[in-house]
Amino acid sequence: MPKTPLVAVVDDDEAIREALCDLMMVTGLACSTFDSAPAFLNDNSPTEADCLITDVRMPGMSGIDLLERMRAGGSNLPVIVLTSVLDAGARAKALELGAQAWLTKPVADETLLDQIRSAIGEEDWPDEPGR
Amino acid sequence: MNTKLPDASFPSVSPKDKLYVAARSSEPDIAEFASESVIVFDVEGAVHYWNPASEALYGWPALTMIGRGIGHLSTRSENEREHWRMLLQEGGWQGVVSRRTPSGIHIAVDIRQYVRFAQDGTPRDVIEYGRQSLNEGAVAGADWHIPDRLMAASWEIDVSDAAALIAEIARLRDAGGIDERDMNALYHKLVKTARIVNVNERTMRLVGGNRGRDLMIGQPVAGFWPLESRVAVAGLIVDAMTGQTEGATYRRQMPSDGILRDPLVTVWRAEEPGRIYVAVNGAVDDDRSYVYLRASEARYRKLVHHMPVALWQVDASHMGRIYNDIRETGVTDFGAYLDEHPELVELAATTVQITDVNRAAIQLLGGTSALDLMRPVGYLFTISRHSLRNVMIGRFNGQADHSEVTKVQTFDGRVLDVRMSVTYPKVLAELDVTIFSFEDVTERLSMEAEIRQLQADFTHAARISTLGELTTSIAHEINQPLAAIVTNAETSLRWLSRDDPNVEKVKALTTRIAASGRRASDIVQHIRGMASKRQPERSAIDLNEIVQESLIFIRHEIESQSIAITTTLARTLPATMGDRIQLQQVVVNLLINSVQAVEAQAKGKREICIGTQLTEDGALAFTLRDTGPGIPPNDLDRIFEGFFTTKEAGMGIGLAICQSIIAEHGGSITASNHPGGGAEFRFVIPVEAPDGSA
Repeated sequence: MPKTPLVAVVDDDEAIREALCDLMMVTGLACSTFDSAPAFLNDNSPTEADCLITDVRMPGMSGIDLLERMRAGGSNLPVIVLTSVLDAGARAKALELGAQAWLTKPVADETLLDQIRSAIGEEDWPDEPGR
Repeated sequence: MNTKLPDASFPSVSPKDKLYVAARSSEPDIAEFASESVIVFDVEGAVHYWNPASEALYGWPALTMIGRGIGHLSTRSENEREHWRMLLQEGGWQGVVSRRTPSGIHIAVDIRQYVRFAQDGTPRDVIEYGRQSLNEGAVAGADWHIPDRLMAASWEIDVSDAAALIAEIARLRDAGGIDERDMNALYHKLVKTARIVNVNERTMRLVGGNRGRDLMIGQPVAGFWPLESRVAVAGLIVDAMTGQTEGATYRRQMPSDGILRDPLVTVWRAEEPGRIYVAVNGAVDDDRSYVYLRASEARYRKLVHHMPVALWQVDASHMGRIYNDIRETGVTDFGAYLDEHPELVELAATTVQITDVNRAAIQLLGGTSALDLMRPVGYLFTISRHSLRNVMIGRFNGQADHSEVTKVQTFDGRVLDVRMSVTYPKVLAELDVTIFSFEDVTERLSMEAEIRQLQADFTHAARISTLGELTTSIAHEINQPLAAIVTNAETSLRWLSRDDPNVEKVKALTTRIAASGRRASDIVQHIRGMASKRQPERSAIDLNEIVQESLIFIRHEIESQSIAITTTLARTLPATMGDRIQLQQVVVNLLINSVQAVEAQAKGKREICIGTQLTEDGALAFTLRDTGPGIPPNDLDRIFEGFFTTKEAGMGIGLAICQSIIAEHGGSITASNHPGGGAEFRFVIPVEAPDGSA
């Protein structure tokens, strides 16, 4: 049995974290959540996760800084930026750093899941349970 | 109430009574100044009017003669009765009679008597003109002037309460060998116990100090009698009360007392048991003439009368006595006592009498004459009974004065805003006179209301402008719960569209949707509060809550600039009365300024520390410190001035409005530079206990 893909979520807003986590679960994905970028970095999640969803504006360290730090550390983890920030500069910076997508909140579930699917790869994508 | 003689018995002594008598029996005032003795008798022969010249001629003060029969002046009362019958029949008489003076000497007087008849032809009264008979060798001339020194200052005194004391003094005096000091103490006690029944105008003028007869009547003689001669007059009172001879007079030359020069005091028993008469003769110990004093008194009254401030003179002496009794029972919190005894406020409203008012007072209330206002004080407090209560508490607490803004209703039903100032009588002062003054502040208050409206508009404009600066932050703040709601809803649909719908999961997600919805709604509420145009309003507030709510507006602004914010709130702060929205506006404004200051700084720490404290004297403080460049020292003094700004796009009203808001809360705001760098702001507001929690 193939391993269940793991999605990491970094967002300072608890309601958002919980909502995203539930969406992953209903889809059949595993999910771990972090309330800040340092919390994610200090965990060994960067190596275990198959995909990262991160917010941009967060106290302590921003999502852009997190992405920069990961790339600098040699990580190629697919990163989806999910934010309500409409900042063209920040978006360009993220894409330049190899972010897979820049999505704005609120996001449609299909849009987000499509991006995760392409990050993880069709072959590892679980069948949605109960269908 | 004070004892008063019947009105008709006092026709000659005061301007007020003079008018009264003039109205009743149409006696011309001129008789007061006539050099001839003018006496009016009723048809029974009782004296109805006795002018000053009669006092001078016969030596009997008007006080002692009013109401007496003509027989009092004559030793041959049989003849008098016959004479009177003839007089009434014939309508007039002229001749020389012998009259008795208080000293027992008889003088010959030329008199002319005329009967005045009523319209139905019956005798109404008798007027008698008299002058000392020239046949007796007296010369008409200078004596026909009635110098002030010849007019006795007369007193009628009630010594009935002192009967035992008088007996005691008489006994000790007879026994002899008593220490003079002990004796004097008894005399002083007698003068204190003896009460004034009535006085004439001269007495009033000499010792009453313009305060009117009513305020002397009923008071102890000691309150008015010169200290120097109290022992002497008490001695005379004892002589008169214990003397065996009916009608005997007792007199003594007293030392000058600063009022009269070498006054001659005469004391004798009245017919009424326990009453005595006192007549004091002597020239005023003052270079000013009687006319001058009269004029000065008139000027004083005129000054008060024409003063542009509305004045009420109030006699609350009986309330003072009630307060003393209450105080003696150990009451200290009179406010609480009045809450339990509201009837005491009503008693004051209905029994505390206004004794004088001036013209401005009549005008203020729209009365037609002083009489409209000379009533118990209650009518001044129909709108605000509470103010009367405050006045009473001030008196009870021994304050020198009391002032408050209250409302008063005019006679034509208008309601005025007035500043009421009350001056209480000094403790141990001779007399109990409270003065009320009312100043109409209706116009000023309405102007102040307009200014407040302008200020509110301005403050609102500043808030809108602040919100404009924060749109990104606010949008982010609302978007978060909305994003959570959308995702949770879509996840729910996924659970529901399964072959075996997971109701438990959907329930949990729906609960979260509701919570996020409420959160979004709360944020909208806060923004609406900040954006709404509203009148300032006071409610119970918690400064810590205000600081936390303010952060909602600006948190993302701070985070997006990678500024660290440290919040140190006091563990417990007392609630106070304040305007929640306006105080939030202050905190948000200060935070925005700091964010912009820190943001402008490329290098160094990016930090804002805010906190709340309870100051040593129990006030609430908010402090903010940032790691920005600080405030240029030259600007420190001007930073709270309106339209002072260092920002290119700024209007410069933010800090000015912060200052006016804090001032409205009775507090102060300061700006400084922290020794360790950065600007530091601090505002302090006093705690005002919320209503009903005290």
